[in-house]
Amino acid sequence: MVNTKCIVLQTRSEFQMIKITEDIRQFVAGSGIKNGLAAVITAHTTTGIMVNEGLECVETDIEETLERLIPKDAPYAHAHFLPSYGATGSNSPSHLKSMLSGNSCLFVVQDGVMVTGDAQDVYFVEFDGPKSRKVYIQVMGE
Amino acid sequence: MIIDVHTHPIFYKDICEDSEQLKFRKEQFGIYKQSPYSIESVKIEMDYMNVDKSVLLPEDLTTQSGGCIVTNEEIAKLVSLEPDRFIGFASVDPYRKDAVDVLDYAFKELGLKGLKLHPSKQRFYPYDKLLKPIYEKCLEYDKPIMFHAGMTWQPDAPAKYSHPLHFEEVAMAYPGLRMCLAHFGWPWIHETVMLLLKYPNVYTDTSLLHMDNAKDFYEQVFTRNMGPLWIERNLKYQVMFGTNSPRFRAKRLLPALKGLNFRPSTLENILSGNAERFIGGSEQKW
Repeated sequence: MVNTKCIVLQTRSEFQMIKITEDIRQFVAGSGIKNGLAAVITAHTTTGIMVNEGLECVETDIEETLERLIPKDAPYAHAHFLPSYGATGSNSPSHLKSMLSGNSCLFVVQDGVMVTGDAQDVYFVEFDGPKSRKVYIQVMGE
Repeated sequence: MIIDVHTHPIFYKDICEDSEQLKFRKEQFGIYKQSPYSIESVKIEMDYMNVDKSVLLPEDLTTQSGGCIVTNEEIAKLVSLEPDRFIGFASVDPYRKDAVDVLDYAFKELGLKGLKLHPSKQRFYPYDKLLKPIYEKCLEYDKPIMFHAGMTWQPDAPAKYSHPLHFEEVAMAYPGLRMCLAHFGWPWIHETVMLLLKYPNVYTDTSLLHMDNAKDFYEQVFTRNMGPLWIERNLKYQVMFGTNSPRFRAKRLLPALKGLNFRPSTLENILSGNAERFIGGSEQKW
């Protein structure tokens, strides 16, 4: 059996970490699937899905480290008009942060429950906000 | 106060019910890979950049393409939903036989605050006598004109119609008609500067990001192609902040503009004071 849900998130700043652990947990619990996998996948190229400890200090270090690794003003190639888009792309830092973050995560579903470690939270991470964003949750199993 | 004088509400969800119409808009404007978003999302983006008001521009392409990118009625509807945040302009295809009536209705009944014309997409030269009754209607209602000027990314729209020099005779003939030559008339920025210097009723806006990122492009255009103090010394009452959203965004252009290190009073004029004069018709500064 496969069950899918789309969560719509309105972000409010250029960088934002939004915990979505409970959304996933609730969807898994209501999916009717006892054993399998839950996938969490963002629909965008300038956002990420991260699994980490849900502490403000960890969030700060993630943001500051990404800023250090990927400066705003480097001579990126992705800074020109894109005819296929009809707009000028100049958000390379957002794409690169998305690359480092990854766009998805997986969790085991056991006895109808999403299995996580005690410290694990799931974040949707915005790197190019504010924007309206979509995240897909899919539970697969029996 | 920040006013963005140049936005196209192509993807505002409240006017995107018809998928065929949305397809027409995207093809005519030349913009892809974007989907409708709510006005709430628009306001959140404006708030994030401290943009207080946006001018919404329609585009009437009735005789050239058989429709409008956004209609005057749709602009009026959006303004009615957010009257404190949106300023609506009208558009009219100059080749329509009922062009003057359409414009009169837009000003008088829909309450729109100015006129948007696109010489390249609508295929007319600004000095053509065809435009005379339209200019006179704008003068009658004391409404400004936002002209597209310079190159356009819209398809099927030759740049020759929008060369800044084609606007000079209009500026001369109608000194009381406030007109913005959008996008600094790029790539003809020196011609645009010449008109700004000579005609106090000519304005321009900052909605250009044709190459590079915003910081690099603004530094190139405003400090190397132009002298670094030209705006500060000569044009500070005629340059308005504009984005051309959704093609270019305030999030990129505003920091680049602020990075040019204008005097606070000049920046204030660019961000709002000049737009208030352009739209509202208050006294010219020079």
